[in-house]
Amino acid sequence: MNQRTRILIAVCIVLVLVGVVLGIDALRRGTRGPELPAGSVPIYVDGELVAGFTPDDLDQLGKTSFVDPVEGKTQEGWLLRDVLLLHVDEADLQPDTLITVSSSSREKSAQLTWAEVSNPDHMVMFDLSNKGTLKLVSVLEKLDTRDEWVQDTDKIEVAAP
Amino acid sequence: MKTKEAYFSTFQLILLALFAALVVVSKIALRTPLQLPGHSGVFWMAIVIVAAGVVPKPGAASLVGLTSGIIAGFLGMGDFGALNTLLSYTMVGVGTDLALLLMQDRENLVVTTLAGMLGHLGKFLVKWVLGAITGAPLGFVALGLARALVGYVVFGALGGLLGGLTLKALRKAGFFAYLAEKR
Repeated sequence: MNQRTRILIAVCIVLVLVGVVLGIDALRRGTRGPELPAGSVPIYVDGELVAGFTPDDLDQLGKTSFVDPVEGKTQEGWLLRDVLLLHVDEADLQPDTLITVSSSSREKSAQLTWAEVSNPDHMVMFDLSNKGTLKLVSVLEKLDTRDEWVQDTDKIEVAAP
Repeated sequence: MKTKEAYFSTFQLILLALFAALVVVSKIALRTPLQLPGHSGVFWMAIVIVAAGVVPKPGAASLVGLTSGIIAGFLGMGDFGALNTLLSYTMVGVGTDLALLLMQDRENLVVTTLAGMLGHLGKFLVKWVLGAITGAPLGFVALGLARALVGYVVFGALGGLLGGLTLKALRKAGFFAYLAEKR
């Protein structure tokens, strides 16, 4: 076997592996139901799935940032308020409406009221982590340290009080 | 009585251990604000490819992967636990070794690029499979699986290319002639 054939086989292996991963993922998504696009974060309102927040949604939103006072790092991303308003009618959100952002892999969650989330001074926002997942951060006292952040967010729940 | 010769010489083992340590150090020190899954592959695939070129024996890259996985596991690196870290680092080496076993020429830039791509893809596969089992995300949430996968493939390829160029530069500088005297 010459070098060219070996290289072609390696290229085929790469393509097959990529195809298998994407194929299996498409199958898994198919069995979960068509309502959630790939890579989306589901948003539930009173226990009912209303939308999936997708990576494409981020392009529609303006970015904001603040310097984390504990670690001195710049947290940059999208306000949770803007993310919610893309999919949930503002009239359904009362000041005491509870919003829970959670991560199943980290087994962490943060519960906030709409009054806290909607105030831009609180900077309740998603920062894009280095590995490309969303991390909920804020200047609020209950969400301003690494232990309190919700890394790898995969669910947003909105519940009437 | 003739004693059985060890597969790796002590000198080669020391070299591979140093490369393994370098993989871990690069992961800690060379942070880039790219916010793309797999971007660190540029650095560590380059190191693994150089290791496999400096010690041109099947298993060299796997040993670097396994050793760096053990070091990284003990240092608590990785977001999803020591097992995930150990397996993903090891798979980088195993994938690179298998690719080099197939393509053989360890200093051909196309070969090193593809080996880097396959090695890094091995890491992605481990994270993807473990993620599917445990529910841990891999940058899919914000970026989608396809973009995460492309990130791993592209950065792995870039790392492989960088490693291949480094090997060429080392040969030009006479490093391999120096090594031949040492071992």
